[in-house]
Amino acid sequence: MHRYKFILHRPVQFLPVIFGVSLITFILVRLIPGDPARVLLGARSTPAALANIRAQYGLDEPLWLQYFYFLKNLVNGEMGKSILYKIDVLPLIATRIEPTVTLILCSVILSILIALPLAAIASRNQGSLPDHTVRIFSTLGIGFPPFWLGLMLMILFSVKLGILPVSGYGETFGDKLAHLVLPCLTIALSLSSVLTRSLRASMITELQSDFATAARARGMPESIVFWRHVLPNSLAPAVNLLAVNIGWLIGGTVVVESVFAIPGMGQLLVRAIFSRDYMVVQGVAMIFACGTMLVNFIADILTVAIDPRVKL
Amino acid sequence: MTSPLLSIQDLTITAQLAGETRTLIDHVSLDLAQGEILGLVGESGSGKSMICRSLVQLLPSRAIKISGGAVMFEGRDLTTLDEATMSTIRGSEIGMIFQNPTSHLDPVMRVGDQIAEGIRYHQGASRAEAKKAAIQILQQVGLPDPTRQHDNYAHEFSGGMRQRVMIGVALSCNPKILIADEPTTALDVTVQAQILRLLLDIRDQRGLSIILITHDLGIVAQTCDSIAVLRGGKLLEHGPKRSLLAAPKDPYTIDLIASHPSMPAPGGDAPEEKPQAAPPIRTPSAPLLEIDDLVVRFPASGNGLFSGTGKFVTAVNGASLQVMHGDTIGIVGESGSGKSTLARAILGLTPLTSGHVTFDGIDLALHRAKALAHLRRETAMVFQDPYNALNPRLTVGDMLAEVLKVQNKTTGDKLQSRINELLDLVGLERAFAGRKPSTMSGGQCQRAGIARALAVDPRLIVADECVAALDVTIQAQIIDLFRDLKQKMNLTLIFIAHDLAIVRNLCERVVVMHRGTIVEQGRSDEIFANPGHPYTAALISAIPDINPDKRLARLDQVLQAEQVVFSMGDEFPATINKITTRELSL
Repeated sequence: MHRYKFILHRPVQFLPVIFGVSLITFILVRLIPGDPARVLLGARSTPAALANIRAQYGLDEPLWLQYFYFLKNLVNGEMGKSILYKIDVLPLIATRIEPTVTLILCSVILSILIALPLAAIASRNQGSLPDHTVRIFSTLGIGFPPFWLGLMLMILFSVKLGILPVSGYGETFGDKLAHLVLPCLTIALSLSSVLTRSLRASMITELQSDFATAARARGMPESIVFWRHVLPNSLAPAVNLLAVNIGWLIGGTVVVESVFAIPGMGQLLVRAIFSRDYMVVQGVAMIFACGTMLVNFIADILTVAIDPRVKL
Repeated sequence: MTSPLLSIQDLTITAQLAGETRTLIDHVSLDLAQGEILGLVGESGSGKSMICRSLVQLLPSRAIKISGGAVMFEGRDLTTLDEATMSTIRGSEIGMIFQNPTSHLDPVMRVGDQIAEGIRYHQGASRAEAKKAAIQILQQVGLPDPTRQHDNYAHEFSGGMRQRVMIGVALSCNPKILIADEPTTALDVTVQAQILRLLLDIRDQRGLSIILITHDLGIVAQTCDSIAVLRGGKLLEHGPKRSLLAAPKDPYTIDLIASHPSMPAPGGDAPEEKPQAAPPIRTPSAPLLEIDDLVVRFPASGNGLFSGTGKFVTAVNGASLQVMHGDTIGIVGESGSGKSTLARAILGLTPLTSGHVTFDGIDLALHRAKALAHLRRETAMVFQDPYNALNPRLTVGDMLAEVLKVQNKTTGDKLQSRINELLDLVGLERAFAGRKPSTMSGGQCQRAGIARALAVDPRLIVADECVAALDVTIQAQIIDLFRDLKQKMNLTLIFIAHDLAIVRNLCERVVVMHRGTIVEQGRSDEIFANPGHPYTAALISAIPDINPDKRLARLDQVLQAEQVVFSMGDEFPATINKITTRELSL
């Protein structure tokens, strides 16, 4: 089992990445024009009140010292206090993490459920009508921007047909699921398109591979050749593509959560940016970075599990 | 004569390409008797693989169809069967093994499962029964530890073991016919001898018939009962082995037999042609190239920031060699012996770990920049794969002009005449200056590659397996070309090959490499007649001779060779493994 040894020492590589992300987000957030204290006080701002707020959140300290406090908090598992919500950042994020994770998870599962059969049908009938249809739809899926697609789905299913809620997020499980159908569909339509194209391409390659020929030569029917030999060999590239796309999706939830008014981390991030809530922006960015690393880590483990030749 | 097991009658295969019909196989008729080994011989494109694939309806493209004739097998015409019936024939009646066992085994499925797969499907065996049968088959094909190796993956085996597994897969359902498509071409010569021996044993034990596709007449002479010679989709000659080899009728067959680089009997008569005018008298001058205690190591795996294992693979381990001006030196050895690495190190294409390479008095280890500049002007390399070594977007003329300009050897007006001169030298028509590699054959590409090497006006040419990818008749032509050039231009040539017979025919001196070290060097005729090292002896005894009466190394000899190979340490992984893991490591 020494092929899986990387699971133990890979997390060590996360530390420098987290450090880098903390530095970059810290600097970038402070490059945004505007003053959190002024945004918070609005019309009531007096020089004394502003100074008071700045002192309260340590915003009057020199930048390097602020960064030092930020790092110190991180080591202690804290991320400071939100200026806008007046509570600690981590508990605040914790209340928002569930809708985002559920949204991403459901979208990815839906994408796989769409992409796998479509790619299988297309690759096994290469050059025929089903193949062309799949290719046209996957090209369209990549072409449509998610915010537009989301609005169109909303108009069709919620406004015209009235079968699904327009926006927001429910309380009970069933209610939540109903609210998630449209956002998931929005994400899945573009994600599954990318996935279908990649899977179709690698399946076509593997269908013509020598080991597929060898399997046919020992009398395996085409369905066994496909599902037992071609499919497992086509998965590795798709897993890595999916990982890259999920990383991208984690940032992309900002758009979808805004369109469908889902109270997740994306929405929290947007609000925090507008109110210059430095601590929250930093915190969300850190969590996003960790999420992306985690997804890639899982993808690496899956790749090793799929292909015994891969060594990490 | 009893009725044949398989009878190919007037088989015709055509391809539909852009509205045009091309005949690939032209009215071929062949019979295969029970227990017979039939050798299908011919160069690439002769249609020998096509015939075999058509037997089980596994033609490479939908555009290729059987358009006439019949294949009779146990009272049925195989060409008329539908896909469902065909899949009961494939595997269970007719098994196949292939040239490249690496790519023909599913890389992500355990080898035992690939064997069991057929047993379960064709015989409806349970999972446990199939596994037991698979282990038994693995034992029969000679895997040392079948119970454990049942759970291994293909990449964990050496090339020879993979081919054994492949044979196991083909045998799993007790077929009556085994089609072996160039089963040993990708293997080293000692391994080849073992695999051929295994095929013969299987035939004797099971009484199955084998169709053996090969381009090597030596293999045919040693293993087959009858021979069919194919060219351009036509059957030229077909008959029992001995009579056909002794008295070939077709000019192509005669040519094929003549091009076979045969080995003289050990301790026997002198080589057929040279030496002309005795070995050249050498003035006692400094050697052109001197290699002294050269060591080349590569990191074993992992090149990430934190993933380096700190382990190294030693590709060349303390090699010393002197090359005099005008020498022709052959470096032989099996894959992984370090011969290519040695060549690359000589030309400064790979970093030296320790030791010295001195070319023309300049030490590559001490004065790297100066030595490299000198090497690039004075040496050239000819590569194994003639297609991939040429830029597909350049015409041959452009390619030669590029070299000439970069090296400042020829300028302006003289350029065209120099290009013509080079093409004349390598025996290409001058019109080839305007052609691109994609419109040329393998042999023509290799000639262009040699012309490119000559363009530098080199004092030393290193040819790395430069005929390995070519058909036998073309091989002979290229070897003749090298012999010619050597004489005309007083070249120094380092010729790397795994094929001992070719080296024997071309080179005055031979260097035998094994696992990174030079085990033996000396005059070719002496070494081949009286090999001093057991490894060299093992290599020589494993070569299939074209004379059927000079048997392929007997089993005990092969086993002895195997022991020599294994006893010499096992720290060296097969090169194929090295390459795939390097490509795949993330």
